[in-house]
Amino acid sequence: MSLLQELGAQLRAASDELPVGQVSVALEKLRSATEILAWLREESQDPMGVPQLGNATEHAERAAAALRIAQDAIATYLAAAGLAGETGAQPRQEWREALRPEPEQHGGGEQQRQPTGEALGPWWQQRVAELTGEPAPAEGETAEPTGKESGDSAELLRRVAAGVRAGDRSRLGRELHAVNASTGLGLAAVTPPVLHRLAGDLLGHEPRPEDVARLRTAAQGRVRALLPGTSPAVLETLIDRICRVPVRQEGRAPGHPADNAVTASVLTGVLLARLGRDAGSLDPDAPEPVRRDAEPGEKHR
Amino acid sequence: MASVAELRAAVDAALQQVSEGQAAIQAAREKLGEAQQSLAAALDGSSHDAVGAAHASLSQADQQLEECLSATLVAVEQAQTYTATL
Repeated sequence: MSLLQELGAQLRAASDELPVGQVSVALEKLRSATEILAWLREESQDPMGVPQLGNATEHAERAAAALRIAQDAIATYLAAAGLAGETGAQPRQEWREALRPEPEQHGGGEQQRQPTGEALGPWWQQRVAELTGEPAPAEGETAEPTGKESGDSAELLRRVAAGVRAGDRSRLGRELHAVNASTGLGLAAVTPPVLHRLAGDLLGHEPRPEDVARLRTAAQGRVRALLPGTSPAVLETLIDRICRVPVRQEGRAPGHPADNAVTASVLTGVLLARLGRDAGSLDPDAPEPVRRDAEPGEKHR
Repeated sequence: MASVAELRAAVDAALQQVSEGQAAIQAAREKLGEAQQSLAAALDGSSHDAVGAAHASLSQADQQLEECLSATLVAVEQAQTYTATL
C-alpha cells in the first residue's frame, strides 16, 4: 500500500467513525422525551423543561448536520487527491446504532430502570387497547409475549415486526400489552433511523419529500388494518419525518405519546414486509441487506 | 392521566429518555474528540479548503453537542422541580 493509499484509508476510517449514529440516537431520545412532556403540559401551566428540550434537540440537529458536512468535506478532499475510490455511497448505518442495547451503545453501565412502568402500566395498556382494538389482559393475568420477555425497546420492535409480518393483530396487541410504558415509549426513539433506512431500501434512493405519496400508498392500508385506532395524522407525520419534509407545527395539539411509538413500530413491520425481510434483519449485527431498485409496483405510482 | 403517581411516572419516563440521550451525547463527544485527533494527525500540513472545512465542522459539531447537553441539564432540573411541587 502506497503512502497515499494509506492516507486515504485512514481518512475513510475516520469519516466512517464519526458519531453520526450516536447523535441520531440522542436526537430521537430527546424528541421522545419532549413528546411525553409536551403531552403532559396539556394539563399544566408549568413548562416542565419542554422549551429547553426543544433547544437541546435543535443543537443535536445542528451537530448531526455539522458531522455530515465534515464527512462531505473529507470525501471532497479524497476526490481532489484522486482517492475517491468507491462509487456510490454506502447506505447509512445509523439504524444499527439505534438498535444496539443501551450498555453497548454508551459503553457505560446498565441504565437505571425506574419503576415508571409500574405506575404507567394501565395508562400504556389502555392506549394500546384503543390503538390495536385488542383488550388489555384481565387483572392478574399477564400478557404472554411470543418471544423472550425483555425491557429492551429494540427487542420489542423485532417482536412487533414479526407480528406485523404475520398480519396477526392479536399477537401485535399481546406484544405491546406485555411491556411496561417505558419500553413501549422507547419505540419512538429506536424506530426513526430504521424507518429511514427501510424506506430508502424500498424506494431505491434516500427518501425525499416527493416520496411521501408513494410511502403512504405502500403502508397506510396495512397500518390501518393493524391499528384501527390510530389517527391518520400520526402516520402522516411519521412519513413526513422519514422523507425529511419540513415540520409543520400549525398549533397542532400534541398527540398521545404512545400513538407515535406504536404506529412507528407497526410501520417498521409493514416496510419490512414490503421488502420481504423478516424481523431478524433488525438485529444490529445482521449482515447488510441487499439494496434493490425501487419496488416495481411503487415505480409506476 | 389521573393521579399524581401517574404524572410523576410519566415525567420519570421522559427523564429516562433524556438521561439516555445525555449518555449518547457524551459518548458521541468522546468519539468525536478521537476523530478530531486522528484527522489532525493525518492531515497535518494540508492547506486544502476541504480540510479546513472538515476541521471547522467537527469543532462546530462538538460545540453544538456541548450546548445540547447544557440545555438538557436545565430541562431535567425544571422537570424535577415540577414533580417536586406535585
